[in-house]
Amino acid sequence: MPLQKLASVSAHTDRIWQCAPHPTLPLLATASGDKSSRIISLLTYNTLSTIDGGHKRSIRSVAWKPNTRGESVLASGSFDATAGIWRRYEDDSGAATGGEYNDEEDEEWRFAVVLDGHESEIKSVAWSAGGSFLATCSRDKSVWVWEELDDDNFETVAVMQEHTQDVKCVTWHPEEILLASASYDDTIRLYREDLDDWVCCTLLEGHESTVWCITFEPLTTPNYDAKRGARLASCSDDKTVRIWTRVGQSGVGAGQGAGAPPSILRGAPVEENWTCSAILPKAHDRSIYSISWSPRTGRIASCGGDGKIVIYEEDKTSAPGAMEVDGDAKAEQGSKAWKIVAELKGAHGVYEINNVAWSKRYDKDKRGEDDEIIVSVGDDGNVNIWAVE
Amino acid sequence: MENLQNANPTILNLSDLPTRKPTASTKPKSALTSLAPSYANDPFAPSSVPELVSDDSEDDDSVVESIDAQEIYDLVSTMCDPEHPITLGELAVVNLDHITVQDDPEELTGLITLEFTPTITHCHLATVIGLGLVVRLQQALPPRFRIDVRCREGTHTTDRQLNKQLADKERVMSALENETLMGLVGKMIETCK
Repeated sequence: MPLQKLASVSAHTDRIWQCAPHPTLPLLATASGDKSSRIISLLTYNTLSTIDGGHKRSIRSVAWKPNTRGESVLASGSFDATAGIWRRYEDDSGAATGGEYNDEEDEEWRFAVVLDGHESEIKSVAWSAGGSFLATCSRDKSVWVWEELDDDNFETVAVMQEHTQDVKCVTWHPEEILLASASYDDTIRLYREDLDDWVCCTLLEGHESTVWCITFEPLTTPNYDAKRGARLASCSDDKTVRIWTRVGQSGVGAGQGAGAPPSILRGAPVEENWTCSAILPKAHDRSIYSISWSPRTGRIASCGGDGKIVIYEEDKTSAPGAMEVDGDAKAEQGSKAWKIVAELKGAHGVYEINNVAWSKRYDKDKRGEDDEIIVSVGDDGNVNIWAVE
Repeated sequence: MENLQNANPTILNLSDLPTRKPTASTKPKSALTSLAPSYANDPFAPSSVPELVSDDSEDDDSVVESIDAQEIYDLVSTMCDPEHPITLGELAVVNLDHITVQDDPEELTGLITLEFTPTITHCHLATVIGLGLVVRLQQALPPRFRIDVRCREGTHTTDRQLNKQLADKERVMSALENETLMGLVGKMIETCK
């Protein structure tokens, strides 16, 4: 299954750390070491605008707020220890015009809010599925949850200091108010709101080095199983990609389906039990920096310091059901279900690849509404666009 | 500098240090050193990306020069210790035997591993030395090289911690934006010819 390069956009003169496809519009935002973010059209693969002046150091992470109407909202996290909120009015016909706007409108990105609080570099920013919460994490070992009370008014609702080291990545569950964080301390933690408090409900151990990136399974993948719930994928400096699955009835959401009345008493246990249900076939020679789980095909893409992009696919028939087997046997069976379907060396020449993301395909050659692309960004400052043939 | 941690380090004789031409005291600059971009010695040069050798015009020759351990040694041995006005070669912080180069012409990327030995096991400047070595090699070598700089096992009280930090690209890149650290690193590199 070859990857075909559709375009290569020289977006930055410094490394690009991360990129984020817009949830509904044909736009891509980048985060770069040159302290700026660029907005790129996924219709024409041209750079549309530059967002800069808000951060004093590298922008490490960007995230589009979901469910916005009439405007686009971008959050940025920087090594300068602050997060920024940027806004731009969006003509709702933006999807039809490919987000192309003329030079005057180019100026319309407004730096709306600075979120201060972290003591050192912010490594990742993420909006909750509904868009009401923003999570940030930092080298200061903490994870913060911000709530937007009304426009441009953000309140800190939680500061979690559970990790013992640098927190590398935060991500939200696609439907529950469940937050996950990955750390330099080799672990992953999950958090829930328990009445007024946010508490850590699970500690996932297994990776043997820094966990760089985590992402939940989208609800629209062909192999999504509502009974099992969305799984979590993680990638690490230990060169493995792991899949984690919730076991048994636990958590606030699960309790309601179990026939037992949901407890509203303080002190009700919120602990969840998650287990490593698969380790994907090994393909990388160096640190794996990023993974992305396709909402259309359920494939997982990974990239890393070895300059490779690897795509994995899960065979549904050989994948274990929700509660069929337990423990190590299940993990072994789960691992066998995943196969490498594509592997591309040197996807950014000699350079390292920092991030991959699946996106809907919008360009003129797209093959139907379900067609998709992979976007990769690297130390060469380029955004590469790939089609899976 | 006050409170030297190791006031009397062992210093090797210059003539005992490994070199490609043992007799030549005025050894010509290595090909690589001259390839280094002009900003290599100055971390505060206008370029915001000192770690990226973006100017490919100088190494677009059809003949790719192979690089060996001596070449790497020459790049780092003349760097200065952050605490003493003595080079890392003379202090045996860097040693030719602890450098390996994998540069297979069939492969897109090469790998350089350099293990350094702090002068004392509790040296608080070991991180700075490691960072300085990373910066020096990243600036002088073409981007096809992956550079693994590590503290030699058992030579520092916190070598595992130190090495995890040096292996973490994000932490290294972030440190390069820290002016205090880069000031120290700049001083280390200043002595390189």
